[in-house]
Amino acid sequence: MDTLTAAGRTGRLLATLVAGALLLAGTIWGVDDDFPFGPFRMYSTAPGPDEPAPDTRVEGVESGGAVVPLTERNTGIRRAEIEGQMAAYQADPSRLRQVADAYASHNPGAPALVEVRIVVRREGVRDSRPTGTHTDETVARWNP
Amino acid sequence: MEPLTRALFAPVPRGRVAAFRTLVYLFVFLDLLIFTPWVRSHASVPGELYQPLLVGRLLPLPTPTPLLVHGVFWVLLVTALAAATGRAPRLLGWTVFALYFEWMVIAMSYGKVDHDRFGFLVALAALATVGRARHGDATLTEAGGWALRVTQISVVCTYFLAAFAKLRFGGIDWVTSSVLARAIIRRGTDLADLIAQVPYLLILAQFGIVAFELLSPLIFVVRDRWRYRGIAFFYGFHVVTYATITISFAPHLVAMTAFLPLERVRPIEWVRRRFARTPAAAGT
Repeated sequence: MDTLTAAGRTGRLLATLVAGALLLAGTIWGVDDDFPFGPFRMYSTAPGPDEPAPDTRVEGVESGGAVVPLTERNTGIRRAEIEGQMAAYQADPSRLRQVADAYASHNPGAPALVEVRIVVRREGVRDSRPTGTHTDETVARWNP
Repeated sequence: MEPLTRALFAPVPRGRVAAFRTLVYLFVFLDLLIFTPWVRSHASVPGELYQPLLVGRLLPLPTPTPLLVHGVFWVLLVTALAAATGRAPRLLGWTVFALYFEWMVIAMSYGKVDHDRFGFLVALAALATVGRARHGDATLTEAGGWALRVTQISVVCTYFLAAFAKLRFGGIDWVTSSVLARAIIRRGTDLADLIAQVPYLLILAQFGIVAFELLSPLIFVVRDRWRYRGIAFFYGFHVVTYATITISFAPHLVAMTAFLPLERVRPIEWVRRRFARTPAAAGT
């Protein structure tokens, strides 16, 4: 059997305790920024049983009026990343230029966009079940 | 203290470490190509959208450029494959760990942090501390036992501590909230849309999730047969999650194989034996 030396054991024990303490601290006080020791907060919020569910999308408009959905696939930016920086987009809609630029560099030759906007669809919820109704709101809009 | 350290260093066959190592490094290869291909597309996302994580600011890691992203991608792809062979386990192990960690900083510094790979990152770090281990070698190793054990603990922490995050961010009302309804509205499959129609089923599921997360550490005290049933239940939970809201937690699922007697899975040996048998049978 391969046995560990006393030093090998102590080092590993210390590493285990330090990582464990960091993870525990991250769970109690940490935020996502403390990756990888941040809290495991996936789906940890508690929206009320009748609170509408926001469903965010980003749209581009070509000069002809055609609407292009801007997604992870054609911009490299995930929807959750747009939502994560939502406050910054709302405070300064010209940041949407970065999304247009990302779209242009992912799709060379695609028609230029004359508008980029973030639309939040609020889906109705009652008794913690979807009602099937919704309203749309444009929360940020940028025109070059 | 004594029983705890004994559990922490409980030896495992070297063959198990070898199999886990191959699986983990092959997953890195597949993760780059198939599971999280969007990381690579951050190469052509403007640097202004990069908001480095704390670790990225502390080190300090550079703002991703196309050269950096594609460079890490290709070097990681090659070193992960090399590491999967089990050669130079420490050198390749630490190299893959460092590159994959940087890859994760590139992935999660644009406004969204994922929580599906703590166990996997621990596996990558811990595997680099175990020396050579050949497939099929039944010799017991304490270093390998520790590496698998800390991966197991990290996997269970991902469940157990998630219950506390729910209490911290959602409060006790989490169990009766519309959190699953919201998840289904945002990314539900047809199956999920059906489930969502059943009154109180989602709320029941929320009670079930918290119960399972809080009870998950029991996996360490139950006997073998129940432990494997428990692991099967964990995998089943992720199958349902994937079938309803298409969230796979793939790296976590790979890390969870640290609970299994992987040394019994010998695909190359099986193929070799099959070929060895065929000519002999033809000669008779």
